[in-house]
Amino acid sequence: MENLVIKKEITNGQLPADAISLANEKIISDLLPQKFGKAGKVWVGVLSAICLIGLYAYYRQLRYGLIVTSMRDYVSWGIYISNFVFFVAISLVGSLITAVFRLAGVKWGSPLTRIAEIIAVAAIIFASLIIIVDMGSPERFYNLFIYGRIQSPIIWDVIVITTYFFISILLLYYPLLPDIQILLRFKEGTGKRLYRFYSFIGSFWKGTAEQFELSEKAINILCIAIIPVAFTIHTVTSWLFATTYRPGWDSTNFGAYFIAGAFLVGAGAVVVAMFVFRKAYHLEKYITEDHFEKMGRILVLLSLLYLYFNMNEFLTPFFKMKESEASYLNGLFSGDFAPLFWFAILTGMIVPTLILLFKKGRKPLPVFVAGVMVVVGAWFKRYLIVTPTLLHPFLPMHDVPASYRHYFPSWEEWAITLGSLAGAMLIITILARIFPIIPIQETITEQHETAE
Amino acid sequence: MKPQNKLFTGLLTLIFLLPGYNGFSQAAQKGDLGITVSYFISNNMIPSLMVKVKTKVDGKFKNVEGISLKLFLDKDTAGKFIAKVVTNDAGEATTYIPSSLKSQWGKTLKHTFVATFDGNNKYEAAKGDVTIAKAKILIDAGSDKTVTATVFEMKDTTWVPVKGVDVVLAVKRMNADLPINDKPTFTTDSTGKASGDFKRDSIPGDAKGNIVLVAKVLDNDQYGNLSIEKTVPWGAKFAMLNTFDKRTLFATRDKAPVWLQLIAYSIMFAVWGILVYLVFNVFKIKKLGEDKIS
Repeated sequence: MENLVIKKEITNGQLPADAISLANEKIISDLLPQKFGKAGKVWVGVLSAICLIGLYAYYRQLRYGLIVTSMRDYVSWGIYISNFVFFVAISLVGSLITAVFRLAGVKWGSPLTRIAEIIAVAAIIFASLIIIVDMGSPERFYNLFIYGRIQSPIIWDVIVITTYFFISILLLYYPLLPDIQILLRFKEGTGKRLYRFYSFIGSFWKGTAEQFELSEKAINILCIAIIPVAFTIHTVTSWLFATTYRPGWDSTNFGAYFIAGAFLVGAGAVVVAMFVFRKAYHLEKYITEDHFEKMGRILVLLSLLYLYFNMNEFLTPFFKMKESEASYLNGLFSGDFAPLFWFAILTGMIVPTLILLFKKGRKPLPVFVAGVMVVVGAWFKRYLIVTPTLLHPFLPMHDVPASYRHYFPSWEEWAITLGSLAGAMLIITILARIFPIIPIQETITEQHETAE
Repeated sequence: MKPQNKLFTGLLTLIFLLPGYNGFSQAAQKGDLGITVSYFISNNMIPSLMVKVKTKVDGKFKNVEGISLKLFLDKDTAGKFIAKVVTNDAGEATTYIPSSLKSQWGKTLKHTFVATFDGNNKYEAAKGDVTIAKAKILIDAGSDKTVTATVFEMKDTTWVPVKGVDVVLAVKRMNADLPINDKPTFTTDSTGKASGDFKRDSIPGDAKGNIVLVAKVLDNDQYGNLSIEKTVPWGAKFAMLNTFDKRTLFATRDKAPVWLQLIAYSIMFAVWGILVYLVFNVFKIKKLGEDKIS
């Protein structure tokens, strides 16, 4: 009876502190953001150190120019652009978990929505930053707006990334509003600055029916809007390559191939984050084995889908083996890049599929391992999309120095890349420290709906 | 081990080791170079020379790059020095005959061009030469689209027509010369003339329909390479389509295609319109909250 009253009050947005039931209090106390423990502090320290090394490497790049990188006239898009494509891919998960699941009426996915949105925001921030790093002098970014041509896929990418960033921020923000109202009630546990921050972004949320109605409507609009934008962001990123006449890029398959890969790596990142947050914050009750079971199934589906696109992408050129593409293809299948190529295929798709096909493989730990493999494999896959192609132009230059014909990133490139990856993880960590990693209000509502 | 066995083992080791020791091996043999000198004169103006250097590797000829050669007129002596040249990646080097050798050039009707290589650590010294008789070629285009080339040789002090020289009559195109009809070469008669009918009527010329005819004597043992050109208005008028000022996908941004701008900007306005609406929505929610407080 008490629960019913509370539920009614909640759904009406009336959540007086004295009416919070024990069950609700338990949910809230479980899901409130927690201060970093010893392990958390070490984790943040390590990530910050990697970021600082990356920053120092970036300072060197600014000081001495792009000559500190191994990029030359052949490989002018190296590890930075590979990393950019990886970040864009991983950011697509926000639209999958939040929007697709929501519109498809998949209820079990709601504890994962915030994790997905946080990953999406962190990834899209670093996708934008890494592009500026790749430009060499950061002021060149300004030239994009001054001289940018609407005919160029690069400008489309700039527009779409900016759009996707704002949609992701809004999609993170709107569902947070009811939770911020709850967070504001626990002033004692929150630091002063954090409390002021919560007040600034959400003190106006009173949980009235009108506010809920407007918020729900906005979330629905965002869910609908984010899907085409998400598809566009990755399709346009694929067009950066596909509109360039190069071996391996000259493909009409690229848009779908990139989107399939992006969904896979995004889902992989979510299962990794699910496992880590579940362990770190003891969320076993909210992120259950069933979530891993279902995400495991999704990962298998996406792995197979991406494998299918990979076969499409490589089998037909391999069958034809056009002379102009032969050295590129042989380099991938049996040459210099073969170990990396087969590692990416096996680790990124085949082995995770084999693990997750079995029921035992869809337990939290194996799903986590498969997720890590998917993410690592996906990173190397992006490297393979960018670099080998650039080393095999259709029209090779005459008398180029030997250094042009090979590419291995310099320490500065590695440091900046690893710094950006650490930076993205740091943002995820900080957002998880500030905001509830599982939506509190939504969980309470769902618990009551289940009880009913 | 018995002493004789030790001795035997030692000797055997020495025998096996000796062939591997470089100190006992012969010095690496230097390669031989083949030097070919070709003589060119275009439009009866300044003659030029081309030298080609090859070597034989595994039974196949290979062009040799970076060979420094000295070229001389008639004799390899200091006063008859033409130029010093270095071969490129195709094993070739070219030079004009300098005006300083004009008096020497006028002294005789036949000349020998000598190319010498002093040798280096990879190749032995080598020499090549070619002897040519002074000759010239003229071209004439008749109103009936007949192309006539006339070849002359300098005898004493006059130009004398030469019989039996193979001449190529062609039209200059971008990459190669196109024969004026199906016949690849024409031979000069006793008047030194070789004629052919122009059968390439539909060939594109410049904006006025001009094309360039060329008559060439190629690799002739006596005269070397002679060529001469003549411009005639026998081609089709070709107006170059310049899309520089048009709206195209590859133009500057102020010349983007209208359809692209319409589509791109419509999508942007639609999506950003929604985003702006959603930001206003936050303020609406905020206002509702403030109203509730008041």
